[in-house]
Amino acid sequence: MARDPGTCPRGPTPGRAVPTGFLRPRASPRVWGPGLAARAAQRDKQEPVIAVPSGRPGSGSAESARPSILPSFFTDCIKPMKVEKKLGRGVAKIHIEDDGTYFQVSQDGGTRKLERAKISLDDCLACSGCVTSAETVLITQQSHEELRKILDANKTAAPGQQKLVVISVSPQSSASLAARFQLNPTDTAKKLTAFFKKLGAHYVFDTAFSRNFSLLESQREFVRRFREQASSKQALPMLASACPGWICYAEKTHGSAIIPYISTAKSPQQVMGSLVKDFFAQQQHVTPDKIHHVTVMPCYDKKLEASRPDFFSQEHQTRDVDCVITTGEVFKLLEEEGVSLSELEPAPLDSVFSSVSVQEPTSHRGGGSGGYLEHVFRHAAQELFGIHVDEVTYKPLRNKDFQEVTLESEGRVLLHFAAAYGFRNIQNLVQKLKRGRCPYHYVEVMACPSGCLNGGGQLKAPEMPGKELLQHVERLYSMVRTEAPEDVPGVQELYEHWLHGKDSERASCLLHTSYHAVEKASSGLSIRW
Amino acid sequence: MKDSLVLLGRVPAHPDSRCWFLAWNPTGTLLASCGGDRRVRIWGTEGDNWICKSVLSEGHQRTVRKVAWSPCGNYLASASFDATTCIWKKNQDDFECVTTLEGHENEVKSVAWAPSGNLLATCSRDKSVWVWEVDEEDEYECVSVLNSHTQDVKHVVWHPSQEMLASASYDDTVKLYREEEDDWVCCATLEGHESTVWSLAFDPSGQRLASCSDDRTVRIWRQYLPGNEQGVACSGSDPSWKCICTLSGFHSRTIYDIAWCSLTGALATACGDDAIRVFEEDPGSDPQQPTFSLTAHLPQAHSQDVNCVAWNPKERGLLASCSDDGEMAFWKYQRLEGL
Repeated sequence: MARDPGTCPRGPTPGRAVPTGFLRPRASPRVWGPGLAARAAQRDKQEPVIAVPSGRPGSGSAESARPSILPSFFTDCIKPMKVEKKLGRGVAKIHIEDDGTYFQVSQDGGTRKLERAKISLDDCLACSGCVTSAETVLITQQSHEELRKILDANKTAAPGQQKLVVISVSPQSSASLAARFQLNPTDTAKKLTAFFKKLGAHYVFDTAFSRNFSLLESQREFVRRFREQASSKQALPMLASACPGWICYAEKTHGSAIIPYISTAKSPQQVMGSLVKDFFAQQQHVTPDKIHHVTVMPCYDKKLEASRPDFFSQEHQTRDVDCVITTGEVFKLLEEEGVSLSELEPAPLDSVFSSVSVQEPTSHRGGGSGGYLEHVFRHAAQELFGIHVDEVTYKPLRNKDFQEVTLESEGRVLLHFAAAYGFRNIQNLVQKLKRGRCPYHYVEVMACPSGCLNGGGQLKAPEMPGKELLQHVERLYSMVRTEAPEDVPGVQELYEHWLHGKDSERASCLLHTSYHAVEKASSGLSIRW
Repeated sequence: MKDSLVLLGRVPAHPDSRCWFLAWNPTGTLLASCGGDRRVRIWGTEGDNWICKSVLSEGHQRTVRKVAWSPCGNYLASASFDATTCIWKKNQDDFECVTTLEGHENEVKSVAWAPSGNLLATCSRDKSVWVWEVDEEDEYECVSVLNSHTQDVKHVVWHPSQEMLASASYDDTVKLYREEEDDWVCCATLEGHESTVWSLAFDPSGQRLASCSDDRTVRIWRQYLPGNEQGVACSGSDPSWKCICTLSGFHSRTIYDIAWCSLTGALATACGDDAIRVFEEDPGSDPQQPTFSLTAHLPQAHSQDVNCVAWNPKERGLLASCSDDGEMAFWKYQRLEGL
């Protein structure tokens, strides 16, 4: 799959993850080259002529099997380029060498090699106009390289220059690895800790811990918004916010029509970002920029989430999450090290809150995508109606990725919640919402059919059919002991000592975020052909 | 050849614009046309003349590319470059837009109703094919978003009797889809065309599918079920499709549309060389390797590209066509005896 990752005229910054798994499988951007002239000549009667090389990258690319949901129309990258302009006499010509480098030939014949504009993940608006599946795969393959670079640099760096490397592993990635190596979840967590430390990481955390905050904040936000219904038209329905595939789609395709409904609670990844770069940095007596925070996630969309400007600290010039690698990339690291996870000696588990020792990983009820519906529902039932719900009953509707949950009392429906996974269900939800016909108070929205355990970055088993593998991963995930978020050791203490209270400004600032409608520079429908 | 196709009349259906597509209603009494002027027009006969009975003008903000009647004849769907599909309900001579299907990222290229009337398919330049379900209250919900094609999808058509969908694409392939559990899946990919496949038509029995392409050929494909007598290999329980006939050398430009008459079995093509052609299967030809002969060829059928040909479902030999020149034409096709 040797393809020049620089098909985007700006070229990706080497070593930087660029927008990735968001995307539906798509072909290359409009690239005009000699071999494509014949194709381009097929004038398509005022229909867009999109000259693309035939053939697609190998079907092995992870995200082509499980596409996420962002739009895929082609536009020129609209990010303005900074070009050093020198006043010159007359018009310069551009000459393209065989290797693709651009030379400016001025009137006096002098040539000057033109700088390739580089965009990084930060610049990218995820307009999805430029990135191909092939590039995506190539680029994502670079991400674990980036981790290596940091770890290697650490080995030779002077003591003051070393970075503190923290790796936060998602429970979904862990379950996927457990399935692959036929281990139980506890052994997987311990052996993964051993592996990362062997590579040079200093601490390995579980994002199930930061998820406690995401769940608690979601619960409280819902109750507040439910009570505000009468006075605020856009209080309900509340839509879950943990899935970046969903968030970016909503921001780009529907903007202000949908954004007001989305929960402001940060995802577990980003809560961990705040925990590590704020709380943990203080504990370790280092500045946040001295920590290199890597997360291990089941999908590629999390890479884009980590690069959101909202999660960049201007004060410390550092990201809350510096790098995201997928479960697949961890597998590559293991392969490169020639290590099988099962062979490693387990290491003790680390905890963000150091005075708590963790013997085994813990998790949450309500499915492999975090359990947002389950937690918000049970909390709301108790807080708003004094009803204790033991077992939450999910009723599947038109397909297995769309389920409903209802709280009834004396024939009245008190709460009507839904879980909508996958693009087709999100479509129907959004259309209903836009027409004012959404019957739900809360919807757990996830971009991937079957949820995060089926994310685009999860491991595949060559011999096992996908469905069977998913069931296996689900079983392993649900083996982990669940705990109510408010009861998890360290959570209450952190609310008190780190955030100075549950309703504090610090809690609001560190555990919540905001969304931004992406204005398209030109409407997709007025692209010049 | 000219005598086989006799011009009955021309109508400037979308003046100063292109006429993109025509669709007869199930009873063959009305013809819907759509064009670059963003309008849909409904035509009916009054004596010998075709008159415009309705103009649907408030539906779309860009070119209307295709129109399709529901099997019951009470609804008309219009697919537009403005990325939406409008559903119009017929109330005598009036049409009211009852709903707009949104979701495609860019130009919708085609729309088709399933024979059951409960399902609708749309396809778009965004490379996807969507299947929609309509319930008793005229509410439409997206049932599946299929991302099998790698390029612009030009056309969708339903099998006449099975709940199976076919799509044609700029990626040179034809794909077939069926329902599996709670989702739709691509069950076959037909490769062979060397360029964009523009349109598709099933034969009246549904056993064969005709495709037409920018490669200037028509291909006929046949469905082979698992365990078939001819020994065509199938994987699992999915039928296989084989190309059993290729009509090449007849068209000098892109073939934009193909229509298979449900009454006579005649195949009509619309070509970028401004001509209309009709083919018929040779009597006694081998069903596994049929041969077709050109039975009508009308050069200059229009003054520009012919975009669409449509056989009237009730009147034998009545063919409608439309062109980039904005005109619609009606033709009488009859085989000349004693040849």
